[in-house]
Amino acid sequence: MKREISLQTRREFLRTTMLGSALSWTVPVFVADTLAALQSQAAAAATPAVTGKDANILVVLQMAGGNDGLNTLVPFANDFYHRARPKLGLSAEHVLKLNDQVGLHESLTGLKDLYDSGCLAVVQGVGYPNPNRSHFRSTEIWQTASDSGRVEKYGWLGRYFDNACAGCDPTVAVTIGSQLPEAFFAKNPKGICFTNPNQYRFLAGDPVRAGETNLTEMTYERMNAVEMAAVSADENSGGTIGSLPAGMPMQGGSAAEFIERTALDAQVSSDQVRNIAARFENQATYPVSPLGNALKLVAKLIGGGLSTRIYYVSQGGYDTHTNQLGTQQRLLKDLGDSVQALVTDLKVQGNLSRVLVMTFSEFGRRVAENANGGTDHGAAAPLFVVGGKVKAGLLGTYPGLAPQDLFQGDLRYTVDFRCVYASILEQWLKTVSAPVLGRRFEPLPVV
Amino acid sequence: MLKPLDKSRWSLETAAHLLNRAGFGGPPAEIRKLAGLGPDRAVASLIDYERIPDYTLAPDWAKPDPEEVLQRREAARDATPEERKKLQQEEQRLQGRHMLELRQWWLSRMARGPRPFQEKMVLFWHGHFATSIEKVRQVPNAAYLMWRQNELFRRLATDNWERLLVEAGKDPAMLVWLDQAQSRKEHPNENYAREVMELFTLGEGHYTEKDVTEAARALTGWSYDRRYQKYVYRPAFHDEGLKTVLGRTGNLNGDDVMAQIVAQPQAAQFITAKLWNYFAGQYPPDELNTALAVVFREFGNNFKPLLRVLFRCEEFYAHDIVRNQVKSPVQWLVGSVRVLECDLPPAPASWGITRGLGQDLFAPPNVKGWDGGTTWITTNTLLMRYNLAQAIVQGNYRMFGAGDFARKPGGQGGGPLARELQVLPPAPVAVEKILTPAERATREQLVAALERRLLQSPLTGEQEKALRDFLASKPALSDDDVRAAIRLVMATPQYQVA
Repeated sequence: MKREISLQTRREFLRTTMLGSALSWTVPVFVADTLAALQSQAAAAATPAVTGKDANILVVLQMAGGNDGLNTLVPFANDFYHRARPKLGLSAEHVLKLNDQVGLHESLTGLKDLYDSGCLAVVQGVGYPNPNRSHFRSTEIWQTASDSGRVEKYGWLGRYFDNACAGCDPTVAVTIGSQLPEAFFAKNPKGICFTNPNQYRFLAGDPVRAGETNLTEMTYERMNAVEMAAVSADENSGGTIGSLPAGMPMQGGSAAEFIERTALDAQVSSDQVRNIAARFENQATYPVSPLGNALKLVAKLIGGGLSTRIYYVSQGGYDTHTNQLGTQQRLLKDLGDSVQALVTDLKVQGNLSRVLVMTFSEFGRRVAENANGGTDHGAAAPLFVVGGKVKAGLLGTYPGLAPQDLFQGDLRYTVDFRCVYASILEQWLKTVSAPVLGRRFEPLPVV
Repeated sequence: MLKPLDKSRWSLETAAHLLNRAGFGGPPAEIRKLAGLGPDRAVASLIDYERIPDYTLAPDWAKPDPEEVLQRREAARDATPEERKKLQQEEQRLQGRHMLELRQWWLSRMARGPRPFQEKMVLFWHGHFATSIEKVRQVPNAAYLMWRQNELFRRLATDNWERLLVEAGKDPAMLVWLDQAQSRKEHPNENYAREVMELFTLGEGHYTEKDVTEAARALTGWSYDRRYQKYVYRPAFHDEGLKTVLGRTGNLNGDDVMAQIVAQPQAAQFITAKLWNYFAGQYPPDELNTALAVVFREFGNNFKPLLRVLFRCEEFYAHDIVRNQVKSPVQWLVGSVRVLECDLPPAPASWGITRGLGQDLFAPPNVKGWDGGTTWITTNTLLMRYNLAQAIVQGNYRMFGAGDFARKPGGQGGGPLARELQVLPPAPVAVEKILTPAERATREQLVAALERRLLQSPLTGEQEKALRDFLASKPALSDDDVRAAIRLVMATPQYQVA
């Protein structure tokens, strides 16, 4: 969407976009309370303002590497399972039973608690037609919600923001980590990413006397301000107006301009994030791990009232071609305990009913174990949805394990992952799912 | 296509561009020298590095140690579980120290060594055949293996595609990394077969799943001897049956698979596109890549002649290529010490910097390597570059804490390295080394000198004004003031590109 621009700085532009018309505005944009006031005005407009403040929040939790679903949600009573996995198969004593057919890996005590308290939905057999067994391609498929035969440029969450979010604050999407995931790639991209809120700022280095403006910091800001370019018919002008999120591969245009825009996003969001991260003290104990630290921070930011709509965190290490037993034990314990801690904090805050956590992994693994104590890339696997409002319990159907049920040695999917996305988009993020997913997928209700 | 750049267009600007891309940049004197050579000799001075002697020694631990491996095995066998755990921890600590030394050893070659282009190629191959210590550490003497792979890339940096593929596949670190060492005919492990086609040579869509499984069968036998730390062929592992890979049938082995891969037209296109992207900063349009692939084939799939054409051609000096590539974290660090004519940070700091900015040498995030380009820049890493500029200019790395050196972020074990940095005295940039008195005579002169040295191009009018205003508030224009100005120029979008 093109707009006439005759502004000096992008910061001023952000203000006018929020309000829908130019105004002289004296309150700094980056104060969260002011944003809330702005956004409630914008809410009167036809497109509801996309914000996490006081509205539903989605936390996407990537399990990178291809988690073995069979040893996560274990069909312990199934003979075919044990026959295919003489070494890796988990017996009934090593699972946390959910019924007399399936149970969770014994390390997932955290998730079992959530299951028992009605906060966990386990969606079985999630995958897609013509599964791809390449890490990068299959991750890309999940991130872009594309058919496996097509390559989509933008991510599903990026398309969500393109559809729903004309002038959002840069913090509307937050990735805890150092690289922006493909899920957020968009025509008018949004979002910031960082690992530690206190380092997330320009450090002037010279001592600051109380009451004085720091000259170094001011000079830095002047040397990084962005001069507004005239809007052109070029597709990329969307990026000039909006905030191109850091980490998105360039679509033409100069690299330095991209960095200018990132610098501005960094400035605006860094004050905001630091102020807000200081407000909530975690009550729960999180595992000391990248995932634990990330969810601990997410709890702080939600508790502090940051207007983020979608958080993205990632846990790596699931590519268990070898030593699967040890690796999965460690990783799943981290996963279960970290998610449980987050839920505890959200309950303390009274926010559990407006947060949804969804896990995903690029694929499950082959039914038969390999000769090295591990498994190779496979297809369908379960995913978890956690929150105060989930449709708790086992959803979908466990794929058949008999040889005739398999596809090239892999589990056949029973739920297309885009049906899970559709449910989240429609019922949780309250938007129409077909434009975001490319076509209509029948939602599999998870809330 | 690929016409050589006309000699009349050779200038300080083109020389700076060549030095930035074929190397890690350098101070004005180096650029002037390259400009004076004219394009043919300038390119040759960088890529014909065999003519330049290099007496760098290997780290003293960089060798196989079969006796120690045997001793450690025997000690572990006779030990209690606690003793065994202690032995393992000791080994991991030792390998950790070696790895720290190895990274600094390599960075020093980039920053101070006589053959910057060779090191730039080693960095390319390291990102291409991306192998990580995080998994290789499961075998004894892992740091030696990583050094050995690094030396392989150095030795074959601009050699022949097929030779490089075969040797890279038989490289011990690679054999461990992609599970080839354990792959046997009963249950061939497909990991290496898949990644070699998908990521190293052809790309998705140019082979079938059947090619992968058949290649995995053919590759069985390529294995590794943990005690002697070398490639070994294990006939008992090898599947002697008929296989068909990419249209060729026979009792194929790994060497045959590599030969058949390189015979595919796509194998040329794939690597020329990647090389162009690495040096030019963007993927080549189809027509250009086809021309590059033709050159590559004509030269028998040898890299040196291809690269000579690449660095000489007009397209390489086009307006949208020059000063339009985001510096990788390694380029940012090495380039900075080159233009500031200062030392590399101490080893723990160098590691903390490159890792924090997203490029942990010898530990790429996965076998795909680093995407590069604008993906180096997030709000997080940009602010980090702006803040690390302060550390480099002041030669003060005390801001690193134990958490920055833990094996995994948030994990344990970083204390000793952080403490090392705490006790080192700061070593600020020697301003008198990089600025003449004339260049400091006025604030305008100073700004111009900093633009020349740090950016090789001007700041915007607004940026220059801001910097002059900043300097106007400093009556004495001391060394500290100059350093503050240097830091401000490094904290601009323009400094992040080259």
